[in-house]
Amino acid sequence: MSEQSEQIDRALERKYDAGFYSDIESETFENGLDESVIRRISAMKNEPEWMLDWRLKAYHAWLEMDEPEWAHVHYPKIDFQAVSYYSAPKSMKDKPQSLDEVDPELLRTYEKLGIPLHEQEMLAGVAVDAVFDSVSVVTTFRSKLEEAGVIFCPISEAIQKYPELVKKYIGSVVPRSDNFYAALNCAVFTDGSFVYIPKGVRCPMELSTYFRINQENTGQFERTLIVAEEGSYVSYLEGCTAPQRDENQLHAAVVELVAMDDAQIKYSTVQNWYPGDENGKGGIYNFVTKRGICHTNAKISWTQVETGSAVTWKYPSCILKGDNSVGEFYSVALTRGRQQADTGTKMIHIGKNTRSTIISKGISAGRSNNAYRGLVSMGPKADGARNFTECDSLLIGDTCGAHTFPYIESRNPTAIVEHEATTSKVSDDQLFLCQQRGMDPEKAVSMIVNGFCKEVFKELPMEFAVEAGKLLEISLEGSVG
Amino acid sequence: MSQWLNQVIEHASVPSDFLATVRQQSRETLQQQGWPGRRAESWRFTPLTSVAKREVKSATDVTAQHAPEIDGLNAIELVFVDGKLTTDCDKLEVPDGVLIATFDNLSEAEQQRAAKVFGQVKPEHHVFGLVNDVASEQGVFIDVADNVTLEKVIRITNLVSQDVDAHTRVAVNIGENASARIVEHAQGDTPSMTTAFVEYMIGDNAHLEHYRFALMAGQAKQIGGSHFALHNGSTLNSTIVGYGSELSRLDVDIIHRGEHADAKMNAVYLLAQGELFDLHSNIEHTQPNGTTEENARGIIGDNARAVFNGRIHIHRDAQKTLAELNNRNLLLSRKGLINTKPELEIYADDVKCAHGATVAEIDEEALYYLLTRGISRSKALVILNFGFIQELVNQVPDDAIREWLLPKLSERFTRMEVK
Amino acid sequence: MLKIQNLHASVEDKTIIKGLDLEVKPGEVHAIMGPNGAGKSTLGYVLSGRDGYEVNEGTATFNNQDLLDMDVEERAQSGLFLAFQYPVEIPGVSNMEFMKESVNAIREKQGKESLTAAEFLKKAKEACKQVQLPLAFLKRGVNEGFSGGEKKRNEIMQMILLQPTLAILDESDSGLDVDALQVVADGVNSQRDGERSFIVVTHYQRLLDYIKPDFVHILADGKIVKSGDASLAQEVEKNGYAFLGKKYEESEV
Repeated sequence: MSEQSEQIDRALERKYDAGFYSDIESETFENGLDESVIRRISAMKNEPEWMLDWRLKAYHAWLEMDEPEWAHVHYPKIDFQAVSYYSAPKSMKDKPQSLDEVDPELLRTYEKLGIPLHEQEMLAGVAVDAVFDSVSVVTTFRSKLEEAGVIFCPISEAIQKYPELVKKYIGSVVPRSDNFYAALNCAVFTDGSFVYIPKGVRCPMELSTYFRINQENTGQFERTLIVAEEGSYVSYLEGCTAPQRDENQLHAAVVELVAMDDAQIKYSTVQNWYPGDENGKGGIYNFVTKRGICHTNAKISWTQVETGSAVTWKYPSCILKGDNSVGEFYSVALTRGRQQADTGTKMIHIGKNTRSTIISKGISAGRSNNAYRGLVSMGPKADGARNFTECDSLLIGDTCGAHTFPYIESRNPTAIVEHEATTSKVSDDQLFLCQQRGMDPEKAVSMIVNGFCKEVFKELPMEFAVEAGKLLEISLEGSVG
Repeated sequence: MSQWLNQVIEHASVPSDFLATVRQQSRETLQQQGWPGRRAESWRFTPLTSVAKREVKSATDVTAQHAPEIDGLNAIELVFVDGKLTTDCDKLEVPDGVLIATFDNLSEAEQQRAAKVFGQVKPEHHVFGLVNDVASEQGVFIDVADNVTLEKVIRITNLVSQDVDAHTRVAVNIGENASARIVEHAQGDTPSMTTAFVEYMIGDNAHLEHYRFALMAGQAKQIGGSHFALHNGSTLNSTIVGYGSELSRLDVDIIHRGEHADAKMNAVYLLAQGELFDLHSNIEHTQPNGTTEENARGIIGDNARAVFNGRIHIHRDAQKTLAELNNRNLLLSRKGLINTKPELEIYADDVKCAHGATVAEIDEEALYYLLTRGISRSKALVILNFGFIQELVNQVPDDAIREWLLPKLSERFTRMEVK
Repeated sequence: MLKIQNLHASVEDKTIIKGLDLEVKPGEVHAIMGPNGAGKSTLGYVLSGRDGYEVNEGTATFNNQDLLDMDVEERAQSGLFLAFQYPVEIPGVSNMEFMKESVNAIREKQGKESLTAAEFLKKAKEACKQVQLPLAFLKRGVNEGFSGGEKKRNEIMQMILLQPTLAILDESDSGLDVDALQVVADGVNSQRDGERSFIVVTHYQRLLDYIKPDFVHILADGKIVKSGDASLAQEVEKNGYAFLGKKYEESEV
C-alpha cells in the first residue's frame, strides 16, 4: 500500500457522533411476533377494525414469503422472533399535548443530534416530525401548516383523524405483499409521518421526519405516506440515527408517495444509522421499500445520501403512470468498514413521454461492498419515453468492492434508454496535486469525494446539503498528521 | 428436476475414457443442483419450460453433409450432423504441429493435454454445460503446438436435420506463441435440442481469431458456449453472430488467467419474428494489466426477444485492468422485447472499467441528413439500422468471412419488419 | 427558381425568422451574411424541411412548387441541396453506399435509370478527386472520423454528384484553412453553369473572395435588412455589423 493510500485510509477512519443511548424509561414488548403482537400494536394505537384486518392480511402474506437473497449482501439469517416489535417512552403514553409536556430527556436526545424541537430554535422553514423508536414524539409547526391546509402528523394520528385518506392511499403504491420486508412492515408498522398537500398548494415549508432508534433489540418499522393533490408541491426530508451497539438491529420502513396530476414531490434522505464497528460488529439492517406513483405531468424526485447502516437494501422507485411524468433518483452511497449497501432505483415507464434520470455515486472504502442495482422498464405504451442513467463508483483502497447491476427492459420502439457506468479511484496524481497546492491529504480526499458527489448534493435542499456535506466530512475526518 | 434432464442423465452412457472422472463429477453436480428454478438469475428472462418437458430423442440414420459454403474460406472442416461427427479426423489434411483427433483416439500425452482443457474453462454450474459433459459422446481435441502459426481456418460445424438431442464438444489448446483461427458454425431449423460447448486454452503470447455463428433458426433450440482462458500476453479477437430461434442461448466466458492479455469481442444479433436470443457474456480478470473490449449490438424485430447479460468481474489482484463493455439495441416493433443487464463487479481500485447499454431509436439527425440527400424515409431507416450492425461486421478480420457475412445479414435484415 | 415571401419560422416556440423575402433566379449566386444568431442556419433548415422547424407564416416556392408542402426527401429529389455546417457522422454506413442510394433516389425522381455500380463508382471517383479527398474515403463510414475540413469537402463532393438546381451552402467555409477553402470554392465554381443557383451562407467575407456572389444580403434578427452587390460584403468586412445598431456592434466579423 502506498503512503498516500494509507493517508486516505486514515482519513477515512470515522467517528459515529450519533452513537449515544438515551436512558429513557420505555414500554417495550417482549421479543417475538405472532397475531397477538399485531393485535396489541393495533390496540395500543387505538386503531379501527379495518386497519387491524389489513395488518393481519399482511402478516399472513408475510408468513408465506421468503427473505430475498438476490442482493449483493451477506448477513446471518435474521431471527424475527428475537426482535421486539414495539417500544415507546413511557412518558408518551399520555400523549403530551405540547412540547412542555414532553419528557425533557427526549428533547435533549434530539438536541444532541442537532435537531432542536423548540420552534423558536429551529431552522425557520422546516417542520419536524420526531419519531423515537415506535412513536412520534412531536410534530412542529403544525398550526402554521394547517393554515395552508397542509396535514403533517404522525400516521397513527392520521388513521384516527383522516381515516378515508389513509384508507384510500395506504398500500396503493406498495401493495401489502409487495416484498418480504414491506409485508412485515404492513403487519407491524408502529408510526411514521403522514403528509397531505391539498390541490394547488405549495407547501410553505420543508417537512422533515427524524427517525431515532434508541431501545435495544427493537426493530423500527415506520411508515410514511405522502399525498400531493393536483398541482401541489412539497419537499420532504428524512434523517435517521441509532445508538452504537454490538447487536444488529432491524429497520424495515415503507414510504409511499402519491403525486397527482401536475404535482411535485421532492423526497430527500440523509441516512446515518449506526453502521457497525470496524470489524462489522453491530449496526442497523436497513431494509426499506420506497416507491412513488406519478400521474399526468407529475414529478417525483428522490435524493439520498446513504452513509450509515451495516446492511442497506433500498430502492426508491417511481411508477411513471401519467403521460409526461418525470422521475428522478440522485444517490450518494458511502460504505466503509464492513458496511454493505445494495441500493438503486426502479423507473417504471408506463405513460407517454415519461422521463427519468438516475445519477448514482458509490464510494467504497475499507472492506465494504457497495452495489448499485436498478431497473429501467419501458412499457409498450411509453411512446417517446426517455431514461438516462449514470452510475459512477469510486474505490478507495484495494480491499473493497464496487458493483453495478442495472436491469433494462424495453417494449417500446420509440423509447430511449441510456445507461453508463464507470469506476475510478482517488488517484495519487490528484492527491499529489492537492498536496502540492498546500492541502493536507484529509482535506484533499474530502474535496475530491465531494467533487465526485456534487451532482447529487446540488439536488438536496440547502439545509440538508449542509448536513450531508458535514456528514461526509466527518466520515472522512481522521487522524492524519 | 425436469423430465428431460432425468432422461439425459439416465441415457448418458459415460464413456470410461480419460475424462470419466470429470464426467462423473458433472453427473453428480447435475443431480445435486437439479433444474434451474423459476428465480434462477441466469435464466430469468429465458424460460426453459419447453426444454424441461421435452422427451430425449436420439438420432437415427445420420448422413454426412457438407458445411455451408463460405466463398474463399480455406478451411479444415469438421462437421457434426445431429450430434455425430461425420468427419474422419484421420483423413484431414493437417499441417505439422497441429492435432485434430477424437477423444478416443489420443495418445497418453495428448490425453493429458486435453484433460487440461476439458471442463477447465467453462463455468462450473452451467446446467447445460454439465449436461454436455455427461451426454456428449464423441468429443474432438484440437491441439496447436507451441510456436505454430496455422494459416488455414479450422471450422467446426454443427448441423441438425431431424428432431434430435445432440450434444457436441470440442477442446482446444493453443500452445505458447502459437496462432490459430477457429470458426464455430451452427445451422439448422428442425425442432431439435442441441448443446455445443467449446473450451479454449490460449497459451502465453498465443493468438486466437475466433468466430461463432449461432445461426440455428425456427424450432431449433440451441444452447452453447465458447469459453476462453487467456494466459500471459495472449490475445483473442472474437466475433459472435446470433440468430434467434425458439430458444437460442449462448454463453461466452473470457477469463484472464495471465497478465497482459488482450481480448476483443464483437457480437451482433438479428432477431426476426418470434425469435429469442440470449447472450450471456462473462469477463473475468483475475490477473493484472489485462484489457478487454466488448461490443454487442442487436436489432429486435417483430415479436422477438433479446436478452443480453454482460458481466465484467475484476478480481482483487487484477490491478491496472482496462475493461469496457457496450451493448446497444434497436427495437423495431412494439411487440419486441429487450432485456439487457451490463454488470460490473469490481474488487480492485486501480482499474478503468466502464459499461454502457442503450435501447434507442434511430438518430434523428442522421435520418434528416439522409432525407436531405433525397433518400426515402423507409430506405433511410433500413440503411441506418443496418449501418448500426455493419459497423461491427466491418471489423471482422477475415476478408472471406466478412464478405460472406454482410450480404447474409443484410438479406436477413431486409426480411425483418421495419416500422 | 426560389421565391420566399414574408417567411416566419420558429424553433421550440421561439421565432427565429421574422418576415424574410428572397428571390433567387436561375444561375444566380446569393450570399447571406449576418451576425451570430441572425437565423442564417435556420433558413437552410427551414428550406430543407427539418423536423422541429415550424413555418408560422409566409410562402416559399421552388420551381413554382410549394416547397413548404414537401417532405425533406422530396425537396432533395426536386433539386434542393443543403451542405451542412456540421455534417453528422453515420458509422457503419459507407460513404459510397450512402451516395449511391442518394444519387439513384434523385435519378429515379427525374425518370432516369439507376446508375450501375460501375458507372457510379466512376463518377464518385471523379468527384472525390475533384475535392481532393483520397479515394479511401469512399469506403469509410459517412463522415466517420473525418476532420472538419474533410467533412466540408465531403459535402461538396455530394453536391457535385447530386447535381442540384439550388445548393444552399451553410457556412461551408467555417473551420477551413486557405487550401481547403480553395478546394471548396473550386468545387462550387465548377458547378456554376448559368442555370444552377447557390445560396452561400457565411459569417465571413473571405469565402466571397473565392465564390463571387451576384447579390449580398445582410440577415439580422430574422430579416434581410440590407441587400446589395459584392461591394456590400467588402463594406461589412471593413466596418463590421455596426450599422445594424448597438446590439451588433460587438459582433465579430
